[in-house]
Amino acid sequence: MSEGIISITPAFARVWKRNAQVYLTLWKFNIFPALAEPVLFIFVFGLGIGSYIDEMEGVPYLDFVAPGILAIAAIMQATFECTYGSYFRMRMQNTFEGIISTPISAGEVGMAEIVWGATRGLVTSSLVLLLMVAIGVFDSWTTLLLPLITFLAAFNFAAIGIIVTSRIAQMEYFHFYFAGFVLPAQFLCGTFFPVSRFPDAVQVIAWIIPLTSFVDIMRSLTLDRVSASLAPELLWALGSTLVLTEIAVRSMHRRLVE
Amino acid sequence: MIVEAKSLHKRFRDVVAVESLDFQVQAGECYGLVGPNGAGKTTTMKMVYCLNRPTSGELRVFGLDVNREQRRIKARLGVVPQENNLDPDLSTCRNLQVYARYFGMAKQESLEKCRELLEFMELGDRAGSPIPALSGGMKRRLVIARALVNSPDLLILDEPTTGLDPQVRHLIWDRLLDLKEHGITLILTTHYMEEAQKLCDRVMIMDRSRAVDEGSPVRLIRQHVSPYVLELRADRSLAADIQARFRGLEHQTSGQNLYFYGDSPSEFDDLLSTYPDMERLLRPSSLEDVFLKLTGREIRR
Repeated sequence: MSEGIISITPAFARVWKRNAQVYLTLWKFNIFPALAEPVLFIFVFGLGIGSYIDEMEGVPYLDFVAPGILAIAAIMQATFECTYGSYFRMRMQNTFEGIISTPISAGEVGMAEIVWGATRGLVTSSLVLLLMVAIGVFDSWTTLLLPLITFLAAFNFAAIGIIVTSRIAQMEYFHFYFAGFVLPAQFLCGTFFPVSRFPDAVQVIAWIIPLTSFVDIMRSLTLDRVSASLAPELLWALGSTLVLTEIAVRSMHRRLVE
Repeated sequence: MIVEAKSLHKRFRDVVAVESLDFQVQAGECYGLVGPNGAGKTTTMKMVYCLNRPTSGELRVFGLDVNREQRRIKARLGVVPQENNLDPDLSTCRNLQVYARYFGMAKQESLEKCRELLEFMELGDRAGSPIPALSGGMKRRLVIARALVNSPDLLILDEPTTGLDPQVRHLIWDRLLDLKEHGITLILTTHYMEEAQKLCDRVMIMDRSRAVDEGSPVRLIRQHVSPYVLELRADRSLAADIQARFRGLEHQTSGQNLYFYGDSPSEFDDLLSTYPDMERLLRPSSLEDVFLKLTGREIRR
């Protein structure tokens, strides 16, 4: 019997619902704190530092940085959910063991956690998006497509989170993951200034991290610069998400069913 | 046949957890696994409910192969794990409903089932309670109620009453016997031989990853130990003195305790009249005596 994505049945949605139900019972604790960082970024970078920058790539700095802030909001939410959140459910509460004692498979638990992480990323980034629209950052109709891309970006990072979570022996390893990958990715991936500013070697690393592609696609949408040259980025964004999800689902299966 | 295991092995990296295990569980019986900590009981159960994969050997549950038909097997199982794993963020009733949904039950159906099961486990007035507000005994009863949401054919319980007060323990025993009467097959592990003796039709004694013996509690007692046990408390020199004088009587020592075994109480008359002032307990032998005889008295390392 295969243990990858192919073995996943729609039953995984029942685990997603469990997470959603717990989230809604605790909504006050979940929604507002998550907005603090992106709102701060808008003020500090967009409006604060931005007031010293005339233009970046031909547009006002706030317009340039907004898609980056949105993407960061999405991936950070997904990352926290699928690292500390998932780990807590897995090891401290033994929730997963309870779930896989029913017809739900371990792979489906992994999938549900990823989709749930992506959902949280979507919720948080959509609230930030509304705020940005309210202060007049976006005016293009292509803004409507942003939630789709933020969801995918969150999905991608949720999958990476589950890969890490299902492989670590103790929670402290997350320190390495955050310091060595998540934090650098936030700043390296063309979020606050173009990747082209880096030396070639760093640019290669930046483009390998799928976040760079997601941010570039989002920026192309908001600045109305969509062109065929985005195709490879879109392919990398989708392809890496698929591969990472496959690895994450298998990895979770190995972790839970010994 | 509900469970059938043939030369079942389980190894975790280089640790052997279960070795050459053969056993069968019949429909409607209560089957007990007893043994010291680390004997392989939990691993054996986890293989039955498909959370551990056998390294080799054959294991069938409901006639289905555990390596291939996990979903179909798990749909008909109820599992009470050693550690409670309730959802602390959901209320008592929600815990059951969320769990029922994992089995694909519809909302209305699960709500009715939840009420029925809370009544059954005497938690009817606790439906809305948050989990942290429940006592240890209530949580355990709730985990048992949760294991019944899908009306399982086989209920697996890993140390169902460890750490509970006598009232709760008796309630759980009563309920398990009710379930058995309704034709549900039970497999349980326990460290309380009284519990095994009370509930189980057959018991497998495990030690160091293997089965040591298997049978009904009555047969195990009759076969392995004499019907009566005399327990004495004596310091080392006194113990040596007693042992020297009554060489003929079968006995064991454990710390400051001496255990003499006999076919009738009168066999101990001489001994007791020689040492009239000693602390003593004369009792019929139990499964615990069998357990200690077969698995030894020393602590496992």
